Amino acid sequence: MRHPLFLAYGLALIGLLGFGEYRGWGPTRANELRDVPRTIRDNPGAYRSHYGGYPRYIGGK
Amino acid sequence: MSSLAVSPPVVKAKSLSCPNCGGPVELRGFAHTLSVVCPSCHSILDASTPTLTLVQRVQEAQRIQPMIPLGSRGKLENTVYEVIGFQIRDIVGEPGEGWSEYLLFNPYKGFRYISEYRNHWNFIRVLAALPEPTKSRGKYAIRMLGQTYTHFDHADAVTSSVLGEFPWRVKVGEMAQVDDYVSPPYMLSSEATPGEVVWSLGEYYTCAQIWRAFQLPDRVPRASGVFANQPSPYAGRTASAWRLWLWLMIALFGITLVMGFTSTNKEVFRHSYSFTPGAAGEPSFVTDPFDLQGRPDNIQLEINTNLNNNWAYFNFALINQDSGHGYDFGREVSYYYGTDSDGSWSEGKSRDSVILPNVSPGRYYLRVEPEMDATATPMQYELVVRRGVPVWIWIWLAALLLLIPPIFIKIRSTAFESKRWRESDYPPSSSSSRGGD
Repeated sequence: MRHPLFLAYGLALIGLLGFGEYRGWGPTRANELRDVPRTIRDNPGAYRSHYGGYPRYIGGK
Repeated sequence: MSSLAVSPPVVKAKSLSCPNCGGPVELRGFAHTLSVVCPSCHSILDASTPTLTLVQRVQEAQRIQPMIPLGSRGKLENTVYEVIGFQIRDIVGEPGEGWSEYLLFNPYKGFRYISEYRNHWNFIRVLAALPEPTKSRGKYAIRMLGQTYTHFDHADAVTSSVLGEFPWRVKVGEMAQVDDYVSPPYMLSSEATPGEVVWSLGEYYTCAQIWRAFQLPDRVPRASGVFANQPSPYAGRTASAWRLWLWLMIALFGITLVMGFTSTNKEVFRHSYSFTPGAAGEPSFVTDPFDLQGRPDNIQLEINTNLNNNWAYFNFALINQDSGHGYDFGREVSYYYGTDSDGSWSEGKSRDSVILPNVSPGRYYLRVEPEMDATATPMQYELVVRRGVPVWIWIWLAALLLLIPPIFIKIRSTAFESKRWRESDYPPSSSSSRGGD
């Protein structure tokens, strides 16, 4: 074997990304929430989204 | 029992006197020696006669010190050779550019040479075979014993210093036209003097190999640059790296197929909603709960709207109804189109999707809070949640990252060869025509 490091790198990469694919890893991230009160189901307006409340304009050309 | 140890015959040097200074002169090459340099006054003497005769008087301020002292013995190719001669060859018109040659002698094998240039060494033997001229990649080449040697450089060499003895009538100032042809680790050289062309074959040796062979006590010097026939540490490695890359890509493709076939990619929720901007009441709501089963895996949320020259923003929270653990995220959806002086145009899409990675199994619901411009027309939209969606970006990323080692090896290999040929008559930037002539 002339490239043991390349082989190890390649197998590690394939293994890691294969495992990531298996576990559903993705490039996007979301804010993790802990202990969201059960009352949210009954009163959704009581929850304040991390992304909510900002003025926005997404205009066209 | 008596022991009769058989020792190798001791070869004694023949001692004579210098006709110029009277100093002692030793001959190690016996009848083969035609010229010898007096170690005291450095006069060149004719050794072909019973008594030495003067050929060339004292050379100017010659106090050269060969790296391998004369009389040293070293084992090369399983044969012990003695260093009996040394000369420095300078390249005409290139001051400071030159090489050293050591003449080696073994009474049974005859003469060999080792040459040194910037601590790159070659073990050389003179050839009896006649080479056959050919072409290789547009360059002059020589074919000999089934091997093609590419022309490397041409030089007019002049002997500037000599020490020891030689089997030819050596003279300081002697000129020769030298051509080198390479096929690493070998170098074929032709040396043309008036009326004679001598071909020799050299094999590259590292400084450490020479130091080991002659058991030299000094520290092994470092070679500088890349020599004409220095074997590339990357020779053959580029092709084997690409072969390995191909096998890894096949493995990656196999894993991709397995992942594609085994991913669940199951729809777990689908519902349609409408949103009226500026309407009274709370815009946020929660969906019916849905189950995410199996191992921790991703989910994909798809948003399909009927937006038409408009935008909407969605605040989402995916919440595990049992543990209270969840994920908060937002998505913009906008779709505009029209025509202007440039023609028709469109921007964005009326649908969007997002993948949340590594979501643990459990019973979940979505909290949805749409936002739009207060004056916008009502929007119809549909939310679809899928579990275990294949994410091909990892495969593409792996394929991309797998390219790094072979490309790196290729670049290093090319850089090495480029360094080699920069020293030749065919530097990489110039055309393939013979430039040194």
